[in-house]
Amino acid sequence: MKLSGVKYLTDQGIENIWKNKMMAFATFCVLLISLMLVGASVLFYINIDSIIGGISDKNEIAVFVNENTSDERIVAIEQELSAIKGVSSVTFDSKEEAFKRMMESMPDYQKIFESLGEDNPLPDGFRVKVNDIERAVDISAEIRLMPDIYYVGVSQEFVSILMELRHIVTLIAVVIIVVLTTVSMIMISNTTKASIFSRREEIQIMKYVGATNAFIRTPFFVEGMITGFLSGTGAFMITWLTYDSLYGILTEKVGVMNVIGLGNILPFDTIRFYVLGAYLLTGAFVGALGSVLFTRKHINV
Amino acid sequence: MVELKNVSVTYSSGVDALNNVSLKINDGDFAFVVGSSGAGKSTMIKLLLKEIDATSGVVTVNGYNLNKLKKRKIPEFRRTLGFVFQDFRLIPSMTVYENIAFVLRVIDAPKKYIRKRVPYVISLVGLQAKSNSYPDELSGGEKQRVAIARALVNDPKLIIADEPTGNIDPELSYEIVELLKGINDCGTTILMVTHEHDLVRHFGGRIINITSGEIVFDEVIGGVNEA
Repeated sequence: MKLSGVKYLTDQGIENIWKNKMMAFATFCVLLISLMLVGASVLFYINIDSIIGGISDKNEIAVFVNENTSDERIVAIEQELSAIKGVSSVTFDSKEEAFKRMMESMPDYQKIFESLGEDNPLPDGFRVKVNDIERAVDISAEIRLMPDIYYVGVSQEFVSILMELRHIVTLIAVVIIVVLTTVSMIMISNTTKASIFSRREEIQIMKYVGATNAFIRTPFFVEGMITGFLSGTGAFMITWLTYDSLYGILTEKVGVMNVIGLGNILPFDTIRFYVLGAYLLTGAFVGALGSVLFTRKHINV
Repeated sequence: MVELKNVSVTYSSGVDALNNVSLKINDGDFAFVVGSSGAGKSTMIKLLLKEIDATSGVVTVNGYNLNKLKKRKIPEFRRTLGFVFQDFRLIPSMTVYENIAFVLRVIDAPKKYIRKRVPYVISLVGLQAKSNSYPDELSGGEKQRVAIARALVNDPKLIIADEPTGNIDPELSYEIVELLKGINDCGTTILMVTHEHDLVRHFGGRIINITSGEIVFDEVIGGVNEA
């Protein structure tokens, strides 16, 4: 196809939108809202993931060995721990170091610690880091079964709440995506239908004079794609503003953020182009697909 | 060239629209197809446009065997034809010029060619002055002349005119047929469906009468103007 042909078909597509302003606008709105809701779910998901990631960086399983375990056995345990699948690093934590840390963290009780003298009540232990925080519980259970293990502690209540949240968000996002994609498709189909109707004479004549199906369909394809593209742009703008203001509110409360690990919320700048790209591509794709599916059904020589 | 060999069309409702019809129209012919409504004229037109397929028999148009024509080849086939409809079928939002140029755009003709060809066919039908008018601003006869120009613009070997005079004043009907005759004189085969017997009698030529799905008359008669 020649360049003039492409331009002609694109112009026809734009003209379609203009001819069916109201329908096009309705489609634009539905698609905009759909994109935004899907986008919001995805952004929420990404941020929860980022927070979980941030926490799991710090998150360790504390492992203590029985008293009177021999040095050889401790070395062996260290190797066994390292061999567990999903464990990224194992650090030995001697009871002397642990005692020193404890004394430093509680200066008010200095006297009590001093009275203990050489009688260190703490056991030797390891700090075990895991790759995937979701496996932390399984791994700690595995460690508990090993001999000479006194105590295994995994502090991941918050992580499991987040994880639960992430699962819920995933579920909701999937539902939202399915429902809204369907609704958007129906809207686009209807717009395309109106568009086809307003051009039915032309289409009829086009068929008689030997227009290929592709030629007849292209303007509708362009129409759907442009509508989708505009919706994507609109959704991006709104998301940008909303995200930035939410981010501003959350970052002002620095205290809260540090406690629950919100420091890992992504600033919009770092994801701007991905969000823009995703919106535009999804919008154009859904728009084009909707009209193509419908024109395939209704325009045939 | 149009050739029908033992063609029958039976609709799914069980109606026999055409019954073992054989017909040959040579290149350069001008033929009237007459018959009362429901006789099978429309079915024959649809057959020739490849809108429907023959139930049995062979349909050949412009060298294309329509029984075997693949769907994706239909556009290519239709580009060798021109159509004129009873109800003109002009696009109201386009000027005369655009209505005709549209056909060439559809077949992806070069812009330069469109700019040359469209004014030429408009002059052939004598509508230079109306080039920028919209269909609503034209009389029935003028509209049909635009439609003829449109059928002519891609230089088809065959023009099928389905009741081209059906929606215009009787006195203007003669003009339209004269125009088609003129086009035929330049070598284009013309198949004109009509039920206006006066018109047929006036012009004469080859008359094909279809009644109840069968050809009951196919002969060349002398027209009044030629007598």
